[in-house]
Amino acid sequence: MKLNEQSQNLGVRIGTIHIIAFILLAILGVRLYYLQVVKGEYYSERAENQRIRHIPIPAPRGVIFDRNGKILVDSRPTWNVVLSNEPIKKIDVSSRVDDYAKGLNLDPSFVVERLDLIKKQNEFETLVLKENATIQDIAWVESHSLEFPELRVENQPQRFYPHGTQLAHVLGYVGEISPKQLESDDWKDKGLKPGDIIGKGGLEQYYDVFLRGKPGYRKVIVDSRGRVQSEIGVVPAQAGQDMVSTIDLDLQLAAEEQLANSSTKRGTIIAMDPNNGEILAMASLPSFDPNIFVQGSKTPEGRKQIAAYWQDEKRPLYNRAIQGRYPPGSTWKIPESVGALQQGVITVKDSKVLCGGGITIGNKFTRCMGSHGAPPLDFAITHSCDGYYYHLALKMKIEGLIKMVETFDYDKRTGIDLPNEKVSQTPKSWKPIIEKREGRWSDIRTVYASVGQDTVVVTPIAMLRAVASVGMKGRMYTPHFLKEFRAIGPVGDESDSTFIPGRDAFGFLHPEPKIIEMTPEQNDLVVKGMWGVVNGGGTAGSIRIPGFDIADKTGTAQVASLGKDVGGNKDHAWFVSFAPAFKPEIAVIALIENSGFGGANAAPAAKGIYEAYLTKKGFVPPAETDLVAKQ
Amino acid sequence: MVAIIEKRDLRDFDWLTTFLAVAIACFGIWQIHNALPTESYWTKQIIGLCIALVAFLVIAFSDYRRIIELAPFFYGFGLLLLALVITPLGVEVNGQQAWLKLPVVGQFQPSEFVKIPTVLMLAKYFGGRKSGSLSIREIVVGGLIMAGPIGLIMLEPDAGQALTYFPIFAAVLFLSAIQIRYVVLVMVAAAVFIPTSYIVGVKTGAIKRYQQERISAVIDPESVDPKGYGYHTMQSIITVGKGGLTGIKGDPETSQSVLKFLPEPHTDFIFAVTAENTGFIGCVSLLIAYALLLSRLIAGARSASERPGMLVIMSIATAMVFQIFINVGMALGFLPVIGVPLPLMSAGLSAILSTFIAIGFVVSVKMRRFVN
Repeated sequence: MKLNEQSQNLGVRIGTIHIIAFILLAILGVRLYYLQVVKGEYYSERAENQRIRHIPIPAPRGVIFDRNGKILVDSRPTWNVVLSNEPIKKIDVSSRVDDYAKGLNLDPSFVVERLDLIKKQNEFETLVLKENATIQDIAWVESHSLEFPELRVENQPQRFYPHGTQLAHVLGYVGEISPKQLESDDWKDKGLKPGDIIGKGGLEQYYDVFLRGKPGYRKVIVDSRGRVQSEIGVVPAQAGQDMVSTIDLDLQLAAEEQLANSSTKRGTIIAMDPNNGEILAMASLPSFDPNIFVQGSKTPEGRKQIAAYWQDEKRPLYNRAIQGRYPPGSTWKIPESVGALQQGVITVKDSKVLCGGGITIGNKFTRCMGSHGAPPLDFAITHSCDGYYYHLALKMKIEGLIKMVETFDYDKRTGIDLPNEKVSQTPKSWKPIIEKREGRWSDIRTVYASVGQDTVVVTPIAMLRAVASVGMKGRMYTPHFLKEFRAIGPVGDESDSTFIPGRDAFGFLHPEPKIIEMTPEQNDLVVKGMWGVVNGGGTAGSIRIPGFDIADKTGTAQVASLGKDVGGNKDHAWFVSFAPAFKPEIAVIALIENSGFGGANAAPAAKGIYEAYLTKKGFVPPAETDLVAKQ
Repeated sequence: MVAIIEKRDLRDFDWLTTFLAVAIACFGIWQIHNALPTESYWTKQIIGLCIALVAFLVIAFSDYRRIIELAPFFYGFGLLLLALVITPLGVEVNGQQAWLKLPVVGQFQPSEFVKIPTVLMLAKYFGGRKSGSLSIREIVVGGLIMAGPIGLIMLEPDAGQALTYFPIFAAVLFLSAIQIRYVVLVMVAAAVFIPTSYIVGVKTGAIKRYQQERISAVIDPESVDPKGYGYHTMQSIITVGKGGLTGIKGDPETSQSVLKFLPEPHTDFIFAVTAENTGFIGCVSLLIAYALLLSRLIAGARSASERPGMLVIMSIATAMVFQIFINVGMALGFLPVIGVPLPLMSAGLSAILSTFIAIGFVVSVKMRRFVN
């Protein structure tokens, strides 16, 4: 440039622009160095994280069988419409609510609820929008995959309870682990994450660790909208272990039927093998349908039904067999009799105690149902003489009753393999409280306690276990449902980090039975009394099965004082038994809430179980002539 | 206007500048292919480069002085095209009506081309002035020349393109003996006025929410809502960083652009693609190539035989530096997301054609440096 160069410093000005240009390029170079060289690895990892996804492969839960291999619970494949967060995280989807609702036949308010929920979660999370999708739903999702890339159809196993409300309390149900549970000590560091399915209640909960499988995953590359581009690896899932339970489905169905046909339709029936504690049947009514918890927790109708279960005054969710505590009434006399013999208050040779038609404590007269003079023990059991036990308990004193409570473990859980078992309440637990409140333990409370009232409430399972031990000559087993968990094979290659070892088969770890100390003569005397209840003109003579001698005790437990015991306050009817009387194979307890006399209401229900048992065995009642000859 | 190519022309032809420009464009085509291997953008870009080279040669062998003589005609034609864009003849893409679709010619972006007549117009006006400091009247006339295209581009609206016109004007004024005290005054005023107007703009709502988010994404990309407007900035940073020293190894099928994490990988974010594929080494090589090209242009300006030629070259060089800085700065996440193409690299016929036409003028000026 020749023109005016000096006067306008043109060369300097061009040079200035040149330098500015280089400075700007140098700034870019420095920033590049920082991003690529200094932080390169960090961003490389971030890029990796956002394009690689682990898509879970759900592990099927173990199947639960009855003792004969009949399916009690299994899993069914279901197609779910899943909503993933990633494609919609940046956009307003409120305009899609109606499309979803119409296309998938959902309630719009539910769609809004699910969208709100997923938007709050991590961008890579998914949420089930519709379970048990129909062919139409699947077709709709597939045909709208371009419009709605956030919707996907996934195949997931879903727990299915083919028997519905039957056996529900024993099996329990499954559901998503709650955020609260995830933080609790029981579940922390167990490798579970939100949305994982765990057992809730019943065997599903108690044996969750074994029933639950180990999910696998597919490692895939996804694009920015979360759509799978290619698969780069698979870690297969390991199914849970199958469980063989001690339940006999035929007896279970018989028990359910008996309860359903009872007068109040509320109560429980348990059948157990007294020789080892295996539970053959356990029914509790009213009941619930576990399928509603599994399938319905994501639909408004299902949630309404679940809420109704929780609010129902009849408490259908509560397992009366192990959580119900009822005054045992006269069934209490069996352990009490054994206690009195053990403690020497009465002897086999001299077991006579005054009945006297009742007893007077202070100025209050408590009556017996009859006037039996001074009967021996077996007569008192057979005819359920209250007066006998009033006087017997006063001889044993409250300390003697408490000792009996300890002997028969009424102060403990039975150890049954179900969660949330309740402990019975007895004078042992009440005495310190009463003494504190009233200053002393009065004789009238001992008298009430002698016939299973006032300070005595026991769980049906504790009562059955105690009475069954009498049939077993003092061997008291732990009731349980587990026969065997079957083995499951290893998954993957042993050298891999993702290898999952196999799990071995195992059975119930039978604890040693508790031994109730008694002589054969003492045992015989009590069993003889129990035999008489059905077979010797006692309180349950109406249910006698010729050729199959049941030994039992009825109970009629007061819920309200005399005169008010009508309608909903009627007595609880009890029947606790084992058979055959002198070589028991099965023990049955029936409790029908607020139905009245034990002999009239609970005993026929128990008989139904025995009949089902005998039918299964192929039992043929002996001809009349044989019976006559035998007598 | 095609001149007969003489022996002297070939001797004076700026082979190095041409080589640098074509080399960068070819590197760009490779990156466009990397960005979207399954799409046809890279083949279109090859065709675009061929067309651009023809236009480049035509301009280079023309006498730029005769073209500058005709500047008012080109300038008027340019304004007409920009006006047509905002008529129904314009085509709207991504909310901006920046394209024009004409029969035979096809679809193109006038704002890319109109820069050239604007530069010529400025060169004609300021090139004719005599010595002495710049008068206010001259500044006002220059401002009016700029106001035409900038005003029409803002109506599209395309703030990014409009922004690229300002450094051209600044450079022209700076090289036309504007007094240094005005330069200082403008810099101080900008230092005060830009933050103030931003704050006022936010308060009054003149600056829209998405624009604010784009700006805060630059200040702190990690804390900005990654699902919002900071997403592009964050993804670009990740893509650049992922390239590391030498670029991605392994499967290009999983690149940020192929998996669609990186938006507009073949145009606005072509530099991020380059960074991912060629790493720090590739990127720095590219920046050095730009620096060499710019140095060639500026050297040409110094040797220009007269003022209008010098102004044409310096305007083009300044516009190019500014576009490189804005585009790469955006890809590196320290400037807001503004749709400015990276010269010679970004896919798009309009962009590569106008850049080669501009370089054609530079070569033309240099070829005639000994001619008086």
